[in-house]
Amino acid sequence: MSLLALSNVSVRYGRLTAVRNVSFSMAEGEILFITGPNGAGKSSLLRAIAGVTPPAGGRIDFEGHDITGRSPEDIARLGVSMVPEGRDVFGGLTIEENLMVGTGMHARERGWKARAATELEAVYATFPILKDRRHTQAGLLSGGQQQMLVIGRALMTHPRLVAIDEPSLGLAPNITDQVYERLIALQAERKLTLLIVEQSSTRAMMAGGRMMLMRGGEILLDGDARALGQSEAMQAAYFGYGEH
Amino acid sequence: MSLSVARRTVTTPILLGLLLVAFALLALVVGSKPFNQTIIDIFLKVIFVVGLWVFIGNSGVISFGHTAFACLGGYIAAWTTIKPMLKGTAMPGLPDWLMGMEIPFWASAVLAAGWAALWALIFGAVLMRLSGIAASIATFAMLAMVNSIYSNWESVTAATSSVVGIPIVRSIWPYLIAALIAVFAAWAYGISRHGLALRAARDEPTAAAASGIDIPRARLIAFVISGAIMGMGGALYAHSIGIVTPDTFYLGLAFITLSMLVVGGMGSLSGAVLGVLILSSLIQILRWLEAGIEIGTTTFALPGGVQEIALGAVMILILMFRPAGIMGNRDLSLPRGAASDSQGQTGPKT
Amino acid sequence: MGSLLQVIFDAAALGSLYALAALGIALIFGVMRLVNFAHGDVIAFSVFALLWPSVDAVAVVFAGNLPWFLLIPFVLAIGAGLSVLSEIVVFRRFRRANPATMMIASFALGFVIRYFLLMLFSSRPKSISLLPALSQPVEIMGARIPLLQLITITVTIAVLLGLIAFLRRTRFGLEMRAAAENFTMARMLGVRANRVIMGAFALSGALAAAIALILGSQTGTANIMMGANVMLMAFIATVIGGMGSLAGAVLAGFLLGAVATVMQVILPPDARAFRDAFVYGAVILVLIFRPQGLLSARGTKERV
Repeated sequence: MSLLALSNVSVRYGRLTAVRNVSFSMAEGEILFITGPNGAGKSSLLRAIAGVTPPAGGRIDFEGHDITGRSPEDIARLGVSMVPEGRDVFGGLTIEENLMVGTGMHARERGWKARAATELEAVYATFPILKDRRHTQAGLLSGGQQQMLVIGRALMTHPRLVAIDEPSLGLAPNITDQVYERLIALQAERKLTLLIVEQSSTRAMMAGGRMMLMRGGEILLDGDARALGQSEAMQAAYFGYGEH
Repeated sequence: MSLSVARRTVTTPILLGLLLVAFALLALVVGSKPFNQTIIDIFLKVIFVVGLWVFIGNSGVISFGHTAFACLGGYIAAWTTIKPMLKGTAMPGLPDWLMGMEIPFWASAVLAAGWAALWALIFGAVLMRLSGIAASIATFAMLAMVNSIYSNWESVTAATSSVVGIPIVRSIWPYLIAALIAVFAAWAYGISRHGLALRAARDEPTAAAASGIDIPRARLIAFVISGAIMGMGGALYAHSIGIVTPDTFYLGLAFITLSMLVVGGMGSLSGAVLGVLILSSLIQILRWLEAGIEIGTTTFALPGGVQEIALGAVMILILMFRPAGIMGNRDLSLPRGAASDSQGQTGPKT
Repeated sequence: MGSLLQVIFDAAALGSLYALAALGIALIFGVMRLVNFAHGDVIAFSVFALLWPSVDAVAVVFAGNLPWFLLIPFVLAIGAGLSVLSEIVVFRRFRRANPATMMIASFALGFVIRYFLLMLFSSRPKSISLLPALSQPVEIMGARIPLLQLITITVTIAVLLGLIAFLRRTRFGLEMRAAAENFTMARMLGVRANRVIMGAFALSGALAAAIALILGSQTGTANIMMGANVMLMAFIATVIGGMGSLAGAVLAGFLLGAVATVMQVILPPDARAFRDAFVYGAVILVLIFRPQGLLSARGTKERV
């Protein structure tokens, strides 16, 4: 059974259609890259999955639950953790407080405090820099550190699926390398399902896994990242050659 | 703006004007004094709400403070039309030239408009730099400031006591004419270069700023015009009842005028006028009920306050289910003028 | 010396009142971008909850006869309850509306509450004696300070410390702070929107009730308009403090209290009646030079 399944999902903002009848599914433990040019509808797709912008049409299932039109907090509580574009840290909160916000959803369960503490140590082990600055206001961190923080924060909710929008945006290449290294390691370690949106396909090809290409609100290609990346179809689709 | 825009949209003020004339004729036919007073009150509300619309409707900035201009206008009527003898006892601090002044009511209304416009210019120069919510709060502070000054400046405003002796004008026509002036002025402003620029800035602030519209200045122009209309309305209000107090022009009036605008729809001039007519009818019915109706030998009366509670509830419900108001941003026009124009004021309604 | 101390206490007491009110406004603005014009009427309602409905000039005291340790929680619960009720009945339906629409709705709701009180109690101010023991003066270094002033200041400081502890040390406080900074992001981390907003309304209502207790004891009257002036000052404080910043709102509240008190002292006697007008004027002047607020903090960008 697939973990996440979208069928004919559309997203509209007023008269503008950002995502048009998109269908795909993801298996547990899979890494899926969604690439495509600016305005392809990638972020809108993520927002629809996270429940921030309810889809105008279609259906989204997560682990067999219909989550179409559910509230963001309900979807998060089912195990979908979203890392939106632009590293939305809570700037006035400390690093540790940022990390703890998402653990509240398990506060009704027994032993959640101990588990949150373990989880916190695990995140600190992955991103030691965060531990060093745990009582610093998150707004004072550098871009790369903020990116690590939001990824760590997403992991703290104990998610099944992590959806990340443009983890490389605004980061120096070597920092991006670091971020990806950790991400891929985490994925292997925890059997996470990763949905990553990136504008360029380079990262996807480097990391391997599955890749989809979006343009104009639709999915044009879907396949193995490395194979697709080298194909001419990819180039054509990305830049829109041969459409006319 | 161009003549074609004027020709295309002029049906709106004409239709609204005819509606107002019909009300005046109705008062004439009925010929009862209380009904006459009710219609006068409706015309005054039309002036206030249309004045409010000039600013709020075109700029999209909510103002809670416009009744301050009505207050300024109301006291102009008191200062310039009360008999000097009476003035001397109630407001001994007035300068001599003002003390001796006794002008007709229409002149006081004109003067009131100018005086209110002057203060709108002064306040507006500051307030229009603020945006959104901060601007709304600042207009509220402006109202409180004016009210606080007029409630305490004993020697020229008689503080919170009523200033009496303002000549009462009972004829319905001056109020009709003033309401018509307000409607046509608001329409003319709406289709002027400034009005169009301000609406563009309301709908697309970034694009408007990029295309060189000076938003604070555009807002200021609307603020001054609406202030002038409110000032005129304030003076006429004083002439309709013969007395003024600072609280005549405070939160109660602000609430009623704003709710009329919201219920009618702040996006269009027709919304402003129809909001007055609809809510005034509702208020009238509630007043009758508050006064009590006799069924057999018992009188059923609603307790005082129900009127405002009902208005508040209507306002909240309209905001919930029809935030653009009853008119929904549309203007009245004749069916053949149904082609949409550039301001989205489309089609016939009603 | 004594008179200077007196001024300081006056300023701190007035500032406390404004700070508590500003905090109540800022809490709600922070989580849902609502400028709550009904706040002043929640204040008035909390006082009238102590009286039995009657239109006589003399108040018919009802719950006001409770001993203080029951009376205070009762009033706080009334304020919190009314505030939460207004969120459930009215504001919840405006979650997706723009701030201007919500603001007008709150203005209308305030009128409904006010005229509800008018209907039950008439618009005449009523004299009440609420916690009368508090009007005794105490002597401190040659200044005679009303006990109530001391209590007002102490209570405000206690409330502020309690609130800081609540916001910093509890899970709910953490979620509320996160939600105030970025509501959508907090929801994506599983923070329940309704709970946080109801919590903010409850706190804000309880703060309004605290103001009601102080005002009621101070003035000895219950008036359906009694919250209006404090609310206006609180609005101004939140604008000066940078919309949505809790610390800014509190600081600006104290600042306004200080400015108003100092004006009371330095203005010539004829002009004292215009104290509030001068304060509003000063605020408008401040806003020309710092439209984003005097104390606007880093993390408080206005969300669009």
